[in-house]
Amino acid sequence: MTVENPHLQAKDVNVWFGERHVLRDVNLVFPANQVTALIGPSGCGKSTFLRTLNRMHELIPSAGFAGEVLLDNKDIYAPEMDPTNVRLSIGMVFQKPNPFPTMSIKENVLSGLKLSGRKAGNAAELVETSLKRASIWNEVKDRLNDPALSLSGGQQQRLCIARSLAMNPEVLLMDEPCSALDPGSTRRVEETIMELSPTMTIVIVTHNMQQAQRISDQTAFFLAEDGNPGRVVEFGATEQVFNQPIDPRTNDYVNGHFG
Amino acid sequence: MTDVRVSMDPGNLGPMPRPASEPWKAKNPRRSAKILLASTLPAIVAIAIGFFSKLDYAVIMMLVFLPLQIISSVAVGRNIYGKKGMADALLVVFTIFFATFVGVLLSSVIWSVISQGAHAMSLQFISQNNVYITPTTSLDYGGVGHAILGTVLIVGFTTLLTVPLGLLVAVYLTETRSKLRNTVRTLVQAMSGLPSVVAGLFIYSALIVQLHIHYGGWLGSLALLPLMLPTVARVAEEALRLVPQDLRNGALALGAPAYRAFLQVTLPAAKTGLITAVILGIARVIGETAPLILTVNNFNGTVIDLSQPMAALPTYIFQFIANSNDTSTSRAWGAALMVLILVAILFTAARLVGRDKRAAKRK
Repeated sequence: MTVENPHLQAKDVNVWFGERHVLRDVNLVFPANQVTALIGPSGCGKSTFLRTLNRMHELIPSAGFAGEVLLDNKDIYAPEMDPTNVRLSIGMVFQKPNPFPTMSIKENVLSGLKLSGRKAGNAAELVETSLKRASIWNEVKDRLNDPALSLSGGQQQRLCIARSLAMNPEVLLMDEPCSALDPGSTRRVEETIMELSPTMTIVIVTHNMQQAQRISDQTAFFLAEDGNPGRVVEFGATEQVFNQPIDPRTNDYVNGHFG
Repeated sequence: MTDVRVSMDPGNLGPMPRPASEPWKAKNPRRSAKILLASTLPAIVAIAIGFFSKLDYAVIMMLVFLPLQIISSVAVGRNIYGKKGMADALLVVFTIFFATFVGVLLSSVIWSVISQGAHAMSLQFISQNNVYITPTTSLDYGGVGHAILGTVLIVGFTTLLTVPLGLLVAVYLTETRSKLRNTVRTLVQAMSGLPSVVAGLFIYSALIVQLHIHYGGWLGSLALLPLMLPTVARVAEEALRLVPQDLRNGALALGAPAYRAFLQVTLPAAKTGLITAVILGIARVIGETAPLILTVNNFNGTVIDLSQPMAALPTYIFQFIANSNDTSTSRAWGAALMVLILVAILFTAARLVGRDKRAAKRK
């Protein structure tokens, strides 16, 4: 498959935990301003792969890595690259909402700036635009100074998205962002993703097939079989992966026959 | 087939008044009577035996009451709940018995300090110092003001030195991936077994004998440091460990350098636990006597210069307990009560500081 305008690219990514080889030769291309869904059964290495894309992977003790991840054709694993700078351009939203408990809603949105030692030009405006982009502004605009933990789970997750957006990343990685949310909150997060996608490259791990179909432009199917390391079985336009998969295992998985 | 009513009468969907009864609180007189019997009979029998046999009550507690209580509780437990009731009954008896045991021990210690110490306690006892006071001087003169000041200064200086060190050790143990962590943890644990007199002797032999440094409050602080450090480090380590990894990851994923993630996210999240670590550390050393005798000496006047010999509450107690006359003993008890009061104030203050902000924010 050929992709024009590659923004982020994984080349021969291999991952180990200790001596265990968990991901083998993953090659994926993420075009600018498109949503890519990573699907596959639990334990196949999707989340692990996602974490290699902004160097969060190396924070796990015993983690091993080989390969290249190119952001605008520059390898983020090159020796001269600073992982903190990589994470500034490639933001991440986690599976479980993790707002900072000691900070208010507003402080949470601004926390990225403070944490990276930068000043906000216009804090109030940044808070408003970030919360609006994460479609939570209307729900919290009257209580910006309340503790972040006073929000519901779905709101907390959108706050975490707003927190990432305030840093204005080029790429946003999302690790099953809706798995802890109810259908209403899930729908709002999906709407947020759709609204962001024209200006941002998004990679999302999901177990929800309908969600992948609703929001993604292209889909990668990961699989780890018979104790072998996980790998990408199929990668292509979402339309095609779901409706005319090349590999029979993809067909079985997206139709719910296993996994 | 059972008829199941799926929908309610559409004309009446509002709330209903709450019924007075609660199914789980239903009375069962037979069962209550059995439990009452099982929990009073052993005590009655034990008291009766104690009354007629003149055996020591502690012996009766362990040899008559406890076995009887176990037998009766297990029997009733089996009678009411079957086999699993026996294990439950056993657990309940042991838990309540030993919790009471510890509670009685603790309250008897506190009570004896309060009852004996109240005798000496007065405003003048808290504020005056020990100049011109002989072992037989009436309790109307003199007090522990200078010793309170000395304790606050010495322990305060120890805290200033120890808290940053202890926190650094805790950070090393939780936030780094160094291979030496287990060694360090073991060493810190071993340090908590260090006899306090050895810590005092170390400072005494190294600084006072070898370097001819004069006795002084700051040497006492140094001697208390190795006693306080393990407590602060261990409790702070636990507090930091309780901060979810998700929060650290959240901060790092925003592009934070590790030190900022720690200072702005991990540290505030662990605040309450860290305050507890400091308080427990202070409580650990505030009553230490031997290191102070060896390094600070004692002084009857009020001293605020940490380089001079000064009084502290434990050394004051030691000074007066050595005399066997009544006023001296009373002074010692009074000073002991003062230590308890200081610790109580500290604990309360720490709880308030730890809670205040969250409570205020929740409004």
